[in-house]
Parts: sequence; structure tokens; C-alpha cells
Amino acid sequence: MKEINVQEAFLEAGYQISPEAVKLIVSHSSPKDLVCYILEHIDESVFVIEIEHIDLPSFESEYPTSQKADSGTTSEASSHPGSQISQNSEVTSVEAPVNPVVSASPSFSSPSGYGTDRSLNTSIHANSNSKGNVNGNNISIMSDITDMSTCVGEYMEFVQYFRNRYSKLSDMIRGRITARPIESLNRNRKHGGGLKRSGGGDYSEVSIIGMVSEVRSTANGHKMLQLEDPTGSFLVLVHQAEKDLFEEASKIILDEVIGITGSLTNDGSLIVAKKIILPDLPNISHRREGTWGKAVFTSDVHIGSSTFLEEEWCSFLDFLNGKCDNDQMKELSKDIRFLVIAGDLVDGIGIFPGQEHELDILDIYDQYAKAAEYFSQVPEHIQIIISPGNHDAVRQAEPQPRFPERITSLFEDRITFVGNPALVDLDGVQVLMYHGRSIDDLVASIPGVSYQEPEKAMIEMLKRRHLSPIYGSRVSIAPEKQDHFVIDPIPDILHCGHVHTIGIGRYKNVLAINSGTWQSQTEFQKMVNVMPTPAQVPIVDLSTLRTTLLHF
Amino acid sequence: MAEIVASKEMQEYFNTLESTLKKEIEIVNNARSKGKDPKPHVEIPLAKDLADRVENLIGVKGVAELIRKLEETRSREEAALALGREVAQGKVGTFDSKSDAIEAAIRVSVAMLTEGVVAAPIEGIDRAGIGKNDDGSEYVSIFYAGPIRSAGGTAQALSVLVGDYVRRGVGIDRYKPRKEEVERYIEEIMLYKRVASLQYTPSEEEIRLIVENCPICIDGEPTEAEEVEGHRNLDRIGTNRVRGGMALVLAEGLALKAPKIQKHVKKLKIDGWEWLDQLITGTKSAADDSGEEKKEEKPRIKPKDKYMRDLIAGRPVFSHPSRPGGFRLRYGRSRNTSFAAAGINPSGMIVMDDFIAPGTQLKVERPGKAAGMAPVDSIEGPTVKLRSGDVVRIDRIDEAYNLRQEVEEIIDIGEILINYGDFLENNHPLAPSPYCFEWWIQEYRKAGGDQSVDEEDLKDPSQDVALDISKKYGVALHPKFTYLWHDIENDKFEQLADFISENGILESERTVLRLPYDAALSSGVKRTLELLLVLHKISGGMILIEEPLPFIYTLGLDDELRKKWDSLEHEEVLDNINQITEFEVRPRAPTRIGARMGRPEKSDKRKMSPAPHVLFPIAESGGNTRKLENAASFKASTNAKVGEITVEIGNRICPACGVETIEYRCDCGEYTIPKLFCPRCGISVNKKECPKCGTKTTCTSMRKIDFKSIYQKAFEKVGERDKLDSFKGVKRMMSKDMTPEPLEKGILRAKHDLFTFKDGTVRYDMSDIPLTHIRPSEIGVTCEKLKELGYEEDIYGKPLTDPEQVLCLKVQDLVISYDCADYLLRTMQYIDDLFVKYYKVDPYYNAKTRDDTVGILLMGLAPHTSAGVLGRLVGFTTAAVGYAHPFFHAAKRRNCDGDEDCVMLLMDGLLNFSREYLPDKRGGKMDAPLVLTTRLDPSEVDKEAHNIDVCESYPLEFYEATQRIANPKEFEDTFDLISSRLGTPLQYEKFMFTHDTSNIAAGPLKSAYKTLGSMVEKMDAQLELGKKIRAVDASDVAERVLISHFLPDMFGNLRAFSRQGTRCVKCGAKYRRPPLTGSCQKCGGRVILTVHEGAVKKYFEVSMKVAEEYNVSSYTKQRIELIGYDMKSLFENDRSKQMGLSDFM
Repeated sequence: MKEINVQEAFLEAGYQISPEAVKLIVSHSSPKDLVCYILEHIDESVFVIEIEHIDLPSFESEYPTSQKADSGTTSEASSHPGSQISQNSEVTSVEAPVNPVVSASPSFSSPSGYGTDRSLNTSIHANSNSKGNVNGNNISIMSDITDMSTCVGEYMEFVQYFRNRYSKLSDMIRGRITARPIESLNRNRKHGGGLKRSGGGDYSEVSIIGMVSEVRSTANGHKMLQLEDPTGSFLVLVHQAEKDLFEEASKIILDEVIGITGSLTNDGSLIVAKKIILPDLPNISHRREGTWGKAVFTSDVHIGSSTFLEEEWCSFLDFLNGKCDNDQMKELSKDIRFLVIAGDLVDGIGIFPGQEHELDILDIYDQYAKAAEYFSQVPEHIQIIISPGNHDAVRQAEPQPRFPERITSLFEDRITFVGNPALVDLDGVQVLMYHGRSIDDLVASIPGVSYQEPEKAMIEMLKRRHLSPIYGSRVSIAPEKQDHFVIDPIPDILHCGHVHTIGIGRYKNVLAINSGTWQSQTEFQKMVNVMPTPAQVPIVDLSTLRTTLLHF
Repeated sequence: MAEIVASKEMQEYFNTLESTLKKEIEIVNNARSKGKDPKPHVEIPLAKDLADRVENLIGVKGVAELIRKLEETRSREEAALALGREVAQGKVGTFDSKSDAIEAAIRVSVAMLTEGVVAAPIEGIDRAGIGKNDDGSEYVSIFYAGPIRSAGGTAQALSVLVGDYVRRGVGIDRYKPRKEEVERYIEEIMLYKRVASLQYTPSEEEIRLIVENCPICIDGEPTEAEEVEGHRNLDRIGTNRVRGGMALVLAEGLALKAPKIQKHVKKLKIDGWEWLDQLITGTKSAADDSGEEKKEEKPRIKPKDKYMRDLIAGRPVFSHPSRPGGFRLRYGRSRNTSFAAAGINPSGMIVMDDFIAPGTQLKVERPGKAAGMAPVDSIEGPTVKLRSGDVVRIDRIDEAYNLRQEVEEIIDIGEILINYGDFLENNHPLAPSPYCFEWWIQEYRKAGGDQSVDEEDLKDPSQDVALDISKKYGVALHPKFTYLWHDIENDKFEQLADFISENGILESERTVLRLPYDAALSSGVKRTLELLLVLHKISGGMILIEEPLPFIYTLGLDDELRKKWDSLEHEEVLDNINQITEFEVRPRAPTRIGARMGRPEKSDKRKMSPAPHVLFPIAESGGNTRKLENAASFKASTNAKVGEITVEIGNRICPACGVETIEYRCDCGEYTIPKLFCPRCGISVNKKECPKCGTKTTCTSMRKIDFKSIYQKAFEKVGERDKLDSFKGVKRMMSKDMTPEPLEKGILRAKHDLFTFKDGTVRYDMSDIPLTHIRPSEIGVTCEKLKELGYEEDIYGKPLTDPEQVLCLKVQDLVISYDCADYLLRTMQYIDDLFVKYYKVDPYYNAKTRDDTVGILLMGLAPHTSAGVLGRLVGFTTAAVGYAHPFFHAAKRRNCDGDEDCVMLLMDGLLNFSREYLPDKRGGKMDAPLVLTTRLDPSEVDKEAHNIDVCESYPLEFYEATQRIANPKEFEDTFDLISSRLGTPLQYEKFMFTHDTSNIAAGPLKSAYKTLGSMVEKMDAQLELGKKIRAVDASDVAERVLISHFLPDMFGNLRAFSRQGTRCVKCGAKYRRPPLTGSCQKCGGRVILTVHEGAVKKYFEVSMKVAEEYNVSSYTKQRIELIGYDMKSLFENDRSKQMGLSDFM
């Protein structure tokens, strides 16, 4: 039984299920029975099924025989025919986005076993006529805030939100260092003399894990960090002389969670850092096998804006329909299974002062109606997934839920709407969609990260295992119980937009795509001297994660 | 010094002021020698003229004399440049280093350029420094700070020129910028424009040109939180943050005022500024383009809607731009207008729901941006339609009160009186004048009209007289009978003529025209009459128009109401009229001026927040209210000593007996000095810098003081009982040495219910309105008292006997609000108490009643300036404004466009002000009386005041010239302006005005904006008024308020909510992000949010309501709707929502 199937089973029964719980079930010898058992026994008040709701001992005592039935076949092996596609884990480089001549792309050769795929393709068609993904073919939403927002705007919610971030991210670091609670350092200081007396020998080597609450430069040019955990806060000094470390420290941003190993000063008032540990992606991670076909990633369509590039957009739609002169392109379009849009579908209204002068469509619902018209032209074999951005008509505070009923009802049923951020599984390839508001903050805070290369900002997200670490700057947050920005599980593809420049990069087996825009340079961009790269679309081969860039 | 040219009476007046001032200073010097003030003498130096002010402001000895010498032969600007050079070369003053000398030189020059009044030279220039070019030579850099803004563009730009002039004098090379530095300027200025704002933003090329060529390095201290993104960490630029002062000087100074600098460069033949040519020609080409546009069509006054921007809830629009029904321009000056103050009839204030009161600021369409409002009842009031259908013009205020409930529509909001000088000052083309009485009478006289007829009769002639005159002398129809023909179309005109011809009945010896009401109403004729402002009454189903003959003739009807014409040939109604009638009819309201409320008038005591009675620090021991009583009984812990508090305070030592204290004076009588120590090394040294580590020393530290005994002793000393309702101190001293005021002063202030400002003075704020003439009756002072004060004669030279006579106000005399007078009276009593109980000397004022305040000396002081102006109180007004001579306002560097500033009792300033109390931070020296101007020289006040016209009437040519929209400069030399009187005794005397007003305090006491409660109430009232006024489109107002006030507020608060910081309720510690511990990391106290749900949602419902009711655009409606969803999503739990009520049943 595949993860998706497990999720669907629970979704149909009206439950959400945490990825951990899914893993647990899938790894069990008889997942199907386990699912049934859980559904029978689950307390109705539970909304999200977590690991603790899965009572394995009692299940196994009740179904002692089931183990035999499924034994031998692992859940992985019993999956799709799509997995026959050869693995391509050696893919390392991405086509240079600067020189994306489509016709020269080597990824045009169709994968072996194309015929099989074809037949399956049609079966998707049949299924997708009914209500999209729920009926379960190949898109599943693994996490999304929609209808799960619990925030009511109280102080403790903010605290809980950050505690949740701390606990999730510190767990990732904890495996690598033996950290102590910060309070224990303070206590030692109060008693005077730091750890000198108690420890003996190399007494002063300590490790802590904390959320950065302040970064500043001292008069002598060192970096001073304030780290905080749920027990207290402590100062960490990064010495200027430690070149590499200092370089690392200059990239530290507010509100990220890091581990520090270092030595306490004599008076016990601060730690002099020797090592900085980020949550980061694991160095060795098994690659999921991927699936067949291709996915198209785009964002920031800005329908309704007077700078929306309608002509280019329409030729993109033509391409999806296989209507193009170039045969290779035609072939390519046949392969496309998914169209993923990471926010700013329309230009919206009232997003910035004086926007009404830059709009062709002044009515927000007309903007979406226009969008719906465009998407109705997309051939039915292509699954469409849309998440909102800061121009869309959902709450500005992130995480954002999917579009409201009034807007989704304008569209055909086959379109899947998700929140922002959202983790979706495209037939085995997991895509983390995030509009990318936080890139603004990352560009402003991390040296070397710029709007011209947004993928660098996205890689910084991956290193921090967090989509939007900085609080209180450009990103509005809604204090939800869970920190939806934590990157866990690790996706195959991280997809952002927002900055209107194409960027494609790879970091430890994760493909980072910033998918550009369909809007030419706006007044605001003119003012701040940002050159967008509009009407360029990355297409990813889902079996190899090899990326091609198309120009329209 | 050069004596001021003035008549003997004026000299006497000045002498009286100065001798009283001297006497008061003596008394204060004597008193201060007995108390515990920072200095044993008065700390406000006197300045008779600009030279004195500059010297005292900057504190370089000998500058004043040099200025006087230089000014003999040079203009102000040239003298300033020469002065800078001489100071830098060390001709006056002594300096430790080259850079100190350069710094002082630049400061004195800028001070001189700004009349030695504004704070820019001391606060706006941080320092001058010397840096090294890459070729090893030296260059000068000037570090500008934010307050340089107050110097104005020209002085900012000239300060750079001064720097260059000075550096040549001392032999330093020019600044040679590095490439990355040039780029840094570009990025930074663009960024500054985004985060703050610039009047003018130079292009990248312009910035590059300036930076590459400017011989001085324009540097500055960081003023904004924003940092540049590229071009960071440059060697020679000390900060990555945005330097606001630098951006201002470069953009609004050098770039914008290049032509002015060039003028001086050429005159002084300074080389190295040739690049200015390029800068000017570069910018000129753009200017030429706009010039060509103008040539294409004939001059026309176009509607401007700039004043409508950023409409705020509760501040109504009185007229949309240039719309019929709005304010009708009338040229002239009343004794309480001009200098950016305009007059309207006080009945208009009443009819427009009291939103305008004397002193209320209006944002106006033209000639300037804003104007203070003053009541002038000799111009026309509003014309209204009553519920009965009557159309009446309300000129008298009692009528206004009687009829205000009956008003159904305000068809016309009346005239607005604006003087020629304001057009000249703003360089605004003269808008066409209406045909008004002042114009008509000159034509009448020119045509040889009967000179013996009384002018009053000519003002309000009967219809027969008016028609006779027109016939006999061929002058245009009298304005009284001229209607607003240009507001209607030909078809309406024809319809009206036909209707009257067919239905009109002329009776009572042709003095009344009767028209059938119902027919007139249904045909629209009634509306036409309303639009023409033909006044009429409804009676017995008939419309009655009195004195209708001129009206009938104008329509081309004869005595029998027969139409004398068949068709209309011209496009314009007026052209047709002038063809069919025997007399000329002129446009009655060719210029309408749009207006909306700016800010309300102010007349209130100056209070800091929270408002302290004394500058004594008590940290948190007094609680949030800073009550000293609480501090005196404070206990840090259960076992702690009562009244022992820990505060940050300055430590001082007595040089005589070595005792340490916190007071300025030791009990032995000796003055104490700050006991300095190095905060780093902890060593105690009596030097500004630590000899060991070079850190700046300080005398302040957290110390325990026995406040209880200080408190009790102070009460004992002044013999007051501890029975004060409220007695508050401050949390922390802001001054450098942190030495508190004597607590005794606070006790007496609290006793008299007075609050202190940051410098130890008691102040009262009022809106500035000009006043050139007074009537004894209206200012609550007897003729006898005024005679004592030197008012001997009225404007016609007759001796003062009758309280209704009009007198010329003396330049330093003030008429203040009654409330202010009461506050000053209490201040006088407080001063006397201080003298008797604290200083143990004789009382000075012995004031018992308000009348005792007449004649006392005051000091006027405006924000952003550092020079007080000596004034004298001569009377009171019920209006909530500070009336003073325009020169007095100009001496403070204010005009009267709705700004406010303060007065304080002179004695209070002398006795209680000290520089020692001033905050030790940027801007701390602003708004403090660092010098006092004793004698007002019109040549040395803000030049704007020189454009005030003071004649009795405007010439005929003027009215005629307005018809062709002439440039106001045409009349600059012929008009009786102040500028033409400078340097003669007439610069102070024999001013006149064109329009009188019977009461300078008429109209509502307070603007409705201040009396209405919540924002929703204000908005309702604003929209109600909008619906009543014909010239206002209420739904446009509603939409504008939503767009410029409510939506940004909601949007901003939503954003702020989701990015907010938190705060500890116990110790006030602030956190950018809530601490993970949940509670305060410093004190463990409860931490709360700083932005609440209520603040986010407060305008939502009213926005929805207004959007519906006034049917605003669907775009705006949708924006509100979306914000509503946003709020709902943020503040409502999806999952509790899913659980409906049924789940619990």
C-alpha cells in the first residue's frame, strides 16, 4: 500500500493524517487491515491522526493472522507501473537557465515503456472527469492549512507557533549535537564561575540549540548572537578571526533555529562559538523513484494586470494543447501530466496603493473568471494544481488557505486548489509549493542572495529547513499551532515564485525552481530596478527531475 | 548696531518693552542667585538683531560684530559666505583644530542664511570632518542630520558652497569620490525617497554629476532604519543605513536649487562649480517643455485636486475643485487675514455645521496649499435653500443660528477673502476676480459718478438707483444685482425668460415679481433661480422675488415682461445677455476655490505625555502614572527602606567641600560640578574623555536615592502641605548630566495646575492667525488700559476714546485666547509663589484676575526653531487662536497656514529655562529658547511677510488684470507691500486693510471636529455636511475617506498584527518576537501583544456601512469585502466554526 492510498483512505473517511503516521502505517506489514482497524477505533473528536492514535499492540493482538497475508511484498514494490521507468538519480546538473534553447534539449527522448504510460494516461482521463484528486488517481495533498486554521489572534498562539518551530527544527539538529537547555547555563552563571568547578578538564565545551533572536556586530567587528530556547536565552560570540565560521555566521538570520558548539567564557556570560549547526538536509537521502511524464511549473500569472502578457500566455496555452509549429515541442506537450502554479494567479485588487491604475480588470471575481476561462483551455489530461500568493484574494497572513468557494466555483472541477505553502504528491514526486514572499527577506538579509538568482534564496530555505524564518519583516504570519513553514518531510521539488525571475538550482537531491512570471516589468519594479524574466516556463521530467526551460 | 528705523512712538514702544525686559532680567538674576538653578543668572541671551542671534545660537564670540560689518556692503547671502571664510581663517573665535574651525564656519553661515532662528545650523549639521583622498590629499566632509530640513533648500545648498569657500580659505583639497561611493549615493537617495519622501528626486545622472563634481563630501548620520542593499561597508562611509540629511541636501538642496547657487558662484567667481551649468541645462529642458504647453492655449485657471488627497474621516470637504457652489474668490485683505490666512463669513462657519472655527486649517485649491481661517463678516455668506423652499443668503451670524436647522441645501458656501500678497508669495497667476463692489465703485468713480453719495448707500443701492447709475454713467450693473449667469446654459436661460414672460406678475410698484411655485418647480425654473443665486421666498403658492427689475432686464424682458429677443447667438449666456441688454453684466463668480478641512484649530496647554509637573526622575517607582507620592512611599522589597528608589541620575560634587550631591548647588552655597567617570574603566576623571581608553566620560549612573526625604524637605521648604491632587515626575532625565530640577518648583507648579515642558518652561499652544488692527471692545480691554500701553490714536489719527475705534496693532503685541490668559495668570501666580516661597524674594506680579495679565511680557517660540521672540499681551479673544502681528509670526518663521506654536510667560522662561535640562539627543535643542529676539526688525523676519499688502483698496488695473490671468509679479512694484516700506518708519505703522470685520472672534468657539466623539460620529457628520453642500459629491468624499484613511488603516493594522512585536506589562521591555519562554526574559512579567484584534477591526463595520450607503465604486467595495475575509480568516478558528451549534445539542 502506498502512502497516497493511505492518505486517501483517511481523507475519504473525513480525517487528516500526519505524514509520520502515514509512514508508520505503510511500513507495517499489513497496512490495509491496519487502516481499517484505525478507522474503526479512532476517537471521533480527533481531526488529525497522529502516531499516538495508532495503537499497534492492540491491533496486532486483534489481527494476528494478517501479518502473513501481506508479508513478502514491501509497500514500495507493490506500487505503480510507473516505477518501471529507469532511475535517474545521477542527474546532477540542470540546464543553464541563461541559455535555454529548447530544441537542443536532450530530455526529449521519450522514456522507455512509453506505450504503457500511454494506456495509463487515458485511464487518468477517465478518472479525472469526476471530482479530481479525492477519488484518487495521482495527486494527493500531504499538507495544507486549508480549513485547518485555528488561529484567533491571541498572544499564546504566537508563543506556541514559535515553540512549535523550535521543537520541530531543534529535533533535526539534536541528533547531531548533545545540546543542553539554556537555562542550565544561566543557572551556572548565577552560582558564579561558570562550569569551571563542576566539570574539570575541558570544562567549558557546551552545545545549545536556539532560535536566533538578535544578530549584531560588536564594536570590534565580531558577531554577537542571542539564542533562545523555551527555557531562556544566551549570548553567542563569533570571533572575527575564525574566518570560515565568521563567514557562516554572517549568513545567520533572525528567527532561524541553529545549534552552537563552543566554549563558555570565564564569567559564564557568553559562548564563543566553534561550530554552527543548521538543521539542513541530510547528506545521504534515498531518492524517491519518481514517475513518468512531465510537470510544468509556473506562477505569478497576474491575470487582470495591464502588464499581464496575454499573447505569450496564450501561446503557452497553445503549447499545452499541442498547437505549435515545432514538432519537438508538440511531442513534449504530450508528455505533460501536471501544471503547477505557485501563487499570484491574478493581480488582485488593493494590493498596493494606486493599483487601480495598473489594472485591466478591476473586478476581482472577473479576474478569476478570466483565469478560469484560460484554464478551461488546458487539455484534460493535464492536472492543474493552484496555490495562492500575496496578490490573491485570500488572507495575506501565511500560511494562506486555498481560494474560497466563491472563487473555486468559477473554475472547472478538475482543478486542484491548495493552500500556501502546500506539500503535494504528484504521483510519487513530492512538490513543496510556496509562493515565496520570504525571498524578499532573505535577499535583504543574506549576503550573496539576490533577486537575479532566486534559487539561492530557496537553497537557503532548504538549509534552514524552513520556508520563511524571519519574523516581523515582510512576511505576515498567522500564528497557527503548527509551523507550516518547516520543511519536513523533504520534498523532491521546492517550487516558489513571487520574485518574477526564473531560477533553477539543486541542493542535495532537491530541485529548487523559481518559476518566473507572466507579467512584464511593473512600475514598482522599474522604480527598484528589478528586471523580471517573464514568459519562461520550467518543465521537469518527473522521472529524472531534469529541467528544461521554455520561452514563450 | 544699526538702529531700526521707526517713528518716535514706535521707538518708545520698543524702549518700553526693553526696559521692562531688563527689569525682569535683573529680578530673575537676583532670584536665581539664591536658589538651586543650574546657573546663577538668566540663561537666555538677548539678541537685538540677526547678528546677535547668530552669535548666541552658535556661540562663537565676535561673530555679531563681523556680521554687522559685512552686511553693510553685501547682501545677506554674500555676507554669509564671507563670514564663513573669515571664521574658518580664524579671524574670530578660537578653535582646537582645523575641522572645528570649518565646522563653526559652516554653522555660522547657515545660521545667518536662516536668520538665526531655526535649529538647522545647530541640529542639522552634526559636524565637519577632514578625510583623505586616494591621492593622499585631504578633503572636507560635512555630516548633515535630519533637522537640516528646517533650513530650507536654498540654505542647505548654500551650506555646501560655504564649505567649499571655506576649505579653499584654509587650503584643503577637493573631495575625490571613488566610483563605488558615487553609486552608493544613487542607491541611497532612491531608497530614502521610498522610505521618507523628497520634494524633488534627482535622476541618476544628476546625482552622479553632483557627487562626482561637488568639491565637498556630503555625508551624514544615519536617520532611517533602512540599510542599503548594495554598496555596503565602504571605507569612507561610516554606515550602511540611510543618511537622511545627506539625501535632503543633495536632492532638495543642490539639485533643486542649482540656479541659486550658480548665481552666487558667478558673483563670487568661485571656480570648480562649472558643472552646475550642465545640471541646470539638463533640468531646464524639462521645464521648457511645460512652458510650451502653456503657450498653446490661452491662460486658464484649471481645477486642481491635490488638496483632496489623503482625505481623513471627520474632516469634511467644503467644495470639490473649482465647482459651482464652492467658495467664491474675493480679493482683499481684512485685518485678520493675509500671510496664508483667508477669511470667510462667520455665518458660513455656522451653516457648515461648525466644522470651521477661527484658526481651523483648510487645505485649499489655491493660491497656496493651506490657509488658516478667520471670520470676516464684510464679505458674503452662504446662500441656502430652506425646507420651506425659500432661498436666502445668510450674512449675519444671528440669522445663521436661527436658520441652521431649516437648511435643506447649501447652494453656495459664500465668499473667501484672499489677499493679493498670497498670490504673489505663491507665484500663482491671478485668478479672475468676480465683479464685486470694490471694483464697481472704482469704475463708477472713474466714469464720473456722483462723489457726494455716501459709500454705504452705494454698497447697497435700491434697484432703481442701481439701474439709474448703469444707465447714466454706463458702468456695469451693480454686483448686488448681478447673478451667476455663467453657471447656467443657454436653454435654461431661454426657458427662464419664457417662463417669467408667460407666468410672471410684477407688482407693488415693480418691487416684487411673483411666479407660480408649482409650475416653477416642475419645470426646473425654480432650480435655475437657485443656481443663479436669485434670492426668493415662497408664499401662498407663489415665488416672490424682491427688487426684480435688474433681473428682468437682464433676461431681456421689458417692464411688461415681454421678451425683447428671439434667439441667442452666442455660446456663453453672458455674451448673449450683454448683447440683449442695455447695460453691461459681468461674471459674478468666475473663480471658485475648492477646500477641505485640514487640521482643527488649537488652543491648549503644552503637555508632554505623560505630563510631568517637574523634571525629576523616579524610574518605575511612581508606577505608570509617574506619581511622585507613590515614589516617596515606594518600597523595593518588603524589608527595603521606604522611599529609597533606584534611578539613573547624575552625580555631582561640590568643589568647595567635596560633598557629593544630585543638585546643582551644594548646601554650602557653592555650585557643584558633574563628577565624571569612565563607564568602561570605572576610573573617576575630571575630563571629557577617559585618558586610559578614550571613551567619553559621564556622570550618570543607576543610583539609590532617598527620595522620601527629598520629597518631604521640598514640601517643608516651600511651606506647602502634601495635599496635591496630582504631582508627577518623569521616568528618566533626558539631559546629558541627568541632574533634576529642584523638586520645589514642581510642587508649586502642581499647586497651580501647570505642566512643564522638557526644558523646564510652562507653555501654551495656539494656532497662528495674523492680526494687524484691533478694536478695544473686541479684545476685552478698556481704552484707558490701551492708552497706558501706548495706543494713543486710531488708524485715522483720532485720539482713542471709543472702544469701537480701530487701532493699528503694534508688532510685538499679542491677542490670545481666554483660556491661555487664565493659564498665564496661573503661571504668574506660580512665579510669585516661587519668588516668595522658594527664592525668598519679593513677589513680582501680584496678579489676581485675568485683567492683571494685560501688558505682561511673553515669549513666542515655534517648533523646529531655537529663537524666542519677545511679545506683550494686549488683549483676549474667545477664538481658540493666538492673534499676533504677521511680523511676529514671521519672526518665529511661521506663516499662518494653520500651524500652531507656543507662548510662554517671559518671566517663566527667564527663571526656569536652562540648557542643562535639554535632551541630549538629535533635535534636543529644537523648540527651546536658546536666544531671545527683543526687537522685531521687519527686514530680518521671514521674507514671506514682505509680500503682505497693506493698502486700503486694490487698484482698478488690478481687477482688470485678473481677467487675463496676469502674473502677480506685474503688480509687485506698484502695490503697497511691506517690501516697499522696509527701512522707513512706515514699516511698522499706518497699515490698512480692504475689508473690515466687526468681530475677530465670530463663529463657533471650537470646530465640530473636536466636539464630535468617535471617528464614526465624525465621519457621519462629515458625510451629512457633504450631502447638504451643492459643491460636494458626498459619495466621492466617502470613497476618498475609505481609500485614503480606513482601508490603509485596516490594511496596515492587519499587516502590523501579523508582524507585531510584544511588550512586557510589568517592565515595559519590548520584544520583536514573542519570547519562547512566553514571559518576559528580563523580569518574568506577563508579555502581551502590541496590536490587538480590536485595532485591526475598528473601521471595518463603518467602512461596510458607508460603502453601501454612499454606493462607492465596486472596486472599493470589493477591497473592503476582501479585507473582511482576511480578518475573518485570521481571527476565526476554522475548526470551531465547523462545529456548529447543533453539535452541542
